Amino acid sequence: MIRDFVYSKAKTVKEALDLLEEHKENYKIICGGQSLLILMRQGLVAPANLIDIKSIEELSYINFKPKDGLKIGAATTHSDIEKSSSVKKHYPVLVSMEKNLASVQTRNWGTIGGNLAHGDPAGDPGPVFIALNATVKIANSERERSIPLEEFFIDYFETVLEDGELLLEVQFPVVPPRTATVYEKFNIIKNDQGIVSVAVSITMEKKGSSCKDARIVLGAAASIPIRAKKAEKLLIGQKLNNGLLEKIGKRASKEADPVADIHASEEYRRHLVEALTKRMVRKAWDQARKPAR
Amino acid sequence: MMKKYSVINTPIHNIDGIAKITGRAEYAFDIKLPHMLYGKILRSPYPHAKILKINTKKAEGLTGVKAVVTGKDTLGIKQGIWRRFKELCDEEILARSKVRYIGEPVAAVAAVDEDTAEEALDLIEVEYESLPGVFGPLEAIKQGAPQLHEHAERNINVTRHIEWGDVDEGFKKADHVREDWFRCSSQHHVCMETHNAVASFTPDKKLTVWTSTQSHYYIQVLLSWVLGLRENDVRVISRYTGGGFGSKFELDSAQFCSSLLSMKLFKPVKIILTREEEFMATKRRTPMFYYLRTGVKKDGTFLAKEGRVFTEGGAYTSMGATALYLTGFFQAFPYVWPSYRYDGYRVYTNTAPTSAMRGFGAPQATFCAETQIDLIANDLGIDPIKIRRKNAMYPGYEVPGQATIQSCGLSQCLDKIEKWIKSQGKLPPNRGIGIAAYGFMSGGIFNWFDTPYAFSSAVIQVKIDGKVDLYIGSQDMGQGSNTTMTMICAEELGVQVEDIRLHMGDTESCPVDLGAWGSRETLMQGNAVKMAAAKAKQQIIEYAAAKLSPNIVYDLDIKDRWVHLIARPERGLSYYDVVKEAIRGKDGQPIIARGHYTPHRKGMISPAYSFGVQAVDAEVDPDTGKITLKNCVTAHDCGQVINPLGVKGQLEGAMAMAAGYGFTEDLPMDEGKILNPNLVDYKVLRATEMPETKVIEVETYEPEGPFGAKEAGEGLTNPTAGALGNAVFHATGLSIKNLPITPEKVLEALKEKKKEEKK
Repeated sequence: MIRDFVYSKAKTVKEALDLLEEHKENYKIICGGQSLLILMRQGLVAPANLIDIKSIEELSYINFKPKDGLKIGAATTHSDIEKSSSVKKHYPVLVSMEKNLASVQTRNWGTIGGNLAHGDPAGDPGPVFIALNATVKIANSERERSIPLEEFFIDYFETVLEDGELLLEVQFPVVPPRTATVYEKFNIIKNDQGIVSVAVSITMEKKGSSCKDARIVLGAAASIPIRAKKAEKLLIGQKLNNGLLEKIGKRASKEADPVADIHASEEYRRHLVEALTKRMVRKAWDQARKPAR
Repeated sequence: MMKKYSVINTPIHNIDGIAKITGRAEYAFDIKLPHMLYGKILRSPYPHAKILKINTKKAEGLTGVKAVVTGKDTLGIKQGIWRRFKELCDEEILARSKVRYIGEPVAAVAAVDEDTAEEALDLIEVEYESLPGVFGPLEAIKQGAPQLHEHAERNINVTRHIEWGDVDEGFKKADHVREDWFRCSSQHHVCMETHNAVASFTPDKKLTVWTSTQSHYYIQVLLSWVLGLRENDVRVISRYTGGGFGSKFELDSAQFCSSLLSMKLFKPVKIILTREEEFMATKRRTPMFYYLRTGVKKDGTFLAKEGRVFTEGGAYTSMGATALYLTGFFQAFPYVWPSYRYDGYRVYTNTAPTSAMRGFGAPQATFCAETQIDLIANDLGIDPIKIRRKNAMYPGYEVPGQATIQSCGLSQCLDKIEKWIKSQGKLPPNRGIGIAAYGFMSGGIFNWFDTPYAFSSAVIQVKIDGKVDLYIGSQDMGQGSNTTMTMICAEELGVQVEDIRLHMGDTESCPVDLGAWGSRETLMQGNAVKMAAAKAKQQIIEYAAAKLSPNIVYDLDIKDRWVHLIARPERGLSYYDVVKEAIRGKDGQPIIARGHYTPHRKGMISPAYSFGVQAVDAEVDPDTGKITLKNCVTAHDCGQVINPLGVKGQLEGAMAMAAGYGFTEDLPMDEGKILNPNLVDYKVLRATEMPETKVIEVETYEPEGPFGAKEAGEGLTNPTAGALGNAVFHATGLSIKNLPITPEKVLEALKEKKKEEKK
């Protein structure tokens, strides 16, 4: 049963921030509601006030500029991202990630800001966005701030968002040349949340075939999406070979901090981190080496 | 030449299809009555506890609450569906003094809306004294384990023994003996429509209940019993049922609590179980621990088999006694075993009761048996098809003391599957094809419900315009029996499907049928319908004969609305004209006929058996253990096919359900608490996980079935877990004996194997 609450609908960002200010800590922001409503129905969350930002038009956009990169408004739906031609052209990994994110119905109504703010370590966008080095723009009624997405998540279902703050935008820098970003989640039922997921981004050196930069991000492998930085270091400056790939997989698995639940034991999750990391590093490496089309 | 059949074996879309897909089909879910109240049920948070005190004062004081009932408001009858055996009737539904599983109902509230009713639940104060619980059958059967029921020492609920031949002698003669332990997991039915009921008790002391059930007759009888009403003062209506799969022929908490509340208030009360309640507190598939010892000759000839089973009963008997017998019977299926010994123990545990689910003990039996047969074939270096063919049942085979097999197309099924496997050529690495042979019953014979009625009946009334009113007692729960019965009626009477107007799902207007379970409708209700239609046809033919004046009356028949001489089909009359005159000639009485069916002298189990062989082609990812289904081909003998579309639908549905049982679905628990009572964490297969499925019909003629037809829906859930397991075995060399076959289990086994190889 959903407990009674007071519902307010904001039409502009200013209206929304004023409402947040007014209700202090006793509120929940709802946008697509795809995660929140489940929690409310189960009685796990029972806010006194629900502030709806779904109709704020100025938060729904996808802008790409060759020099600045990609900017996506927080209230943009998953479907909009999935179907955007500029996203497809410049950030194709986002399209494949969205295609496997939940159901069509959820993608049509759920929003990117809502997904991130929910702070679920098994969410798909987190690891991929971190691999793409994304930043988020946050505001309250007095000021705006931007932080790397990597620093946005704190713990299970907990983010840096403070009372009165609203997530406005996700920003993706221009993808460096000779870069490939790939993502895979392991699940039994297609489009389910990943039991473990891994996103890898690799940038190659201009000449030769060694790795200039690498980001390996693990989903559902800790309380938040985490970077396997030691594993990344093994790769940077090196050429990939099977021996190195084994080492990278093993290291990433050590860096993971998974828990056991009904879907997988801790040990199996670690194994999956290793298997998927190897698979994704190999895939990103092969793609980044290909000459640009 | 006229075609043999004009309706049967034609693909016909479900006659309820349009009403369902346009949302006009009225389920009990949709019923709204004037002054209707909404009910909610308070359930035990303890797996095992004494109820010391229940205080309902505060809840009753809440604005909008109209009534609260507890066990004290009941007659305290321990009910059950095995009415013939008092000790197997052990469930009160509203517990009076003790709760035995998490989710057991202890009180119910009726209020002006659902929210108020739910709020009131929080205000009911129940004082419990927690008792130690026991959760697995192997622990519960031990001396000194906490005891659930006073009458059941060591928590033994039911035992079953089946034996024929000289088992010990068989093992002595065997060249090869294999022993294996298996664990079969639980599974939930996951009906789209959760259990629900609207009960309306009126001042004339009559109770009407709209509900979602597989047997309105059972619910009528059970409700009248526990409420102290006359059987026919209770009317049960179930026009549409949104899925059953075995979960909806026992009396449930929604039906009982809404009736109790309505009787207290003289107002309609509606209760709909939430998905969570559905998972936690309705019945589920029986988990089993299976020990099998099997002796064979070098050439693969089966000699002796011994099976021992411990099943997790949960808190009450439910339909568990049936599952325990059937798993033992089907353990020996579909082969010729010269000797066989089975001992089954159903053990009470402090978990949600386990009961009937599609296959009724046979999917568990088939998984274990078929897995072991592939292991034996592998031990002896014999082809899996060959070992099965060597020992296959055949038409006319007698299962000693149990059953006589009349029609049996098992060998033809093996041939077809062998041919398909060969057509696949050499498979890539990590791919494998596994097979499983199976059989199933076409309705049960044993009258545990103790009905004095025929097992199935039908009534037909032919109206002046040739329209046929067909009254049946069987329940369509999505399996398509309404369409099947309409087709059988149309074929036998010699009309078309659109001439039939079907009446079902109402105890007030329909004759008795025991309901849709045990794959009984096609054969049992089908025979009753066929008999009624034949009798109506006879009356029409009598009048036509007077007009056509042939030599002898038996020479006439009706086909596709044409009443004619069989030998000279062109000589005839329009069905419509004959009907009109026949009714006029009967002094204006419509043509009425009745049909019924009860099996007599057909053994212990069923009048007829379906057979089949399924092949599952699967790929195993050696890095993660993940299984991907590639193909599923089933050669199936269901006698004469009535509706090919219906069989296809049953096959695909069964495949999804049984593959889920094989590798994704499970109900993990912690001290009796189900940990995944929702559709996010409980993994039902979706369209994306379904492989290409193909059905190869092997037609036989079953003398006991209508037009030679037999079971075509439930048995199809039997082979898949075993075939899938065998596919994994042939892909990896690993046999997983613990369901479900999850990627984690496959991976663990792969790691073990690697370790072994290093040694």
